[in-house]
Amino acid sequence: MEELFVNMGQIRSLKSTGVLTTVGLGSCVGVTLYDSVAKVGVMGHIFLPTSRGSNGSTITSPGKYADTGIPALIEQAVKLGAQKRRLVAKIAGGANLFPNLNLNSVSIGEQNIAAVIKNLSNHNIPIVGKDVAGNHGRKMRFFVETGRVCVTAIGKEPIEI
Amino acid sequence: MYDAKLDFLRELGNIGTGHATTALSQMLQGKLFQLVVPDARMLPFEEAADFIGGLEQVVAGIFVAVSGDVSGHMAFILPIDSAMTLVRLLTSGQNEELDEMALSALQEMGNIMITSYLNALASMTDMVFAPSVPGIAIDMAGAVWQSVLAGAQAADEVTIIRTDFYADGSAIEGHIIFLPDEEDFVKIARVMGLEDM
Repeated sequence: MEELFVNMGQIRSLKSTGVLTTVGLGSCVGVTLYDSVAKVGVMGHIFLPTSRGSNGSTITSPGKYADTGIPALIEQAVKLGAQKRRLVAKIAGGANLFPNLNLNSVSIGEQNIAAVIKNLSNHNIPIVGKDVAGNHGRKMRFFVETGRVCVTAIGKEPIEI
Repeated sequence: MYDAKLDFLRELGNIGTGHATTALSQMLQGKLFQLVVPDARMLPFEEAADFIGGLEQVVAGIFVAVSGDVSGHMAFILPIDSAMTLVRLLTSGQNEELDEMALSALQEMGNIMITSYLNALASMTDMVFAPSVPGIAIDMAGAVWQSVLAGAQAADEVTIIRTDFYADGSAIEGHIIFLPDEEDFVKIARVMGLEDM
């Protein structure tokens, strides 16, 4: 079975079959969109909540930020034959691996989770599964044939979301 | 001037890591550390993401924010086996697992190494480099590295100064990484009389 790896800031997609995998979600949030009728799946690996503050007027990798990444994920899904109104989302990640290090009052992980939820809700896409926050990294595997998403972490039982 | 800048960054990494491993060596009854050639690169974000290999490997990562005249972030990342070997050496073999005591020993060791690294840069440039309290994580290398980059708010291009080292054969290995904020790099260059960079 084909397995595509989604790196930080990337967006990748599959139709009918195969697995989309992202490894090493720390404060990043992995997002999957699925249309179960068209069997279209896309996955993103969101790095920061907003593209504001990035230099340059053109953003080379929209998948890096929640505000540009969610529309780009939807566009990708629609391009492969999904219908926007049928899309459902699953999200994982947004952890704070260094909790005693208060770089910001709200951790980047928490900010990423909030931004992803808000941007999905702006597009009326329901979140049907999530495993977010905490202090541990995660790996996310998305089986496009069924829409199942499996989340694993060091020293924990794998869970399905 | 691109090459000159990278050469200069490599040299900074070499000096910093030299001091850091000397400090560690003193804590470990003089175990000899060897440095691998320091590497400095300015990478597009996508490549910076891949800069640490073995994304699923378990590592110990110690992370600090640097403020003062020069701001940036530093990380000390080592495979879990190396971390355990260090803990055994630091606690005279009393710790066989990664409990609170071991984590705190590792955190303190990372702190001393990072401080030594920054002190070397400070005395060379006569500038202030002040580290924050260190954070420590034991997790997948990808998750640790990604959190370091996010903490540093890595933009479209990332300057990374990395020096690898090993000791005791290769029973202990790791890397020290410095991510200076771009605008502050110019300050260091100016102090060092390398303004054209």
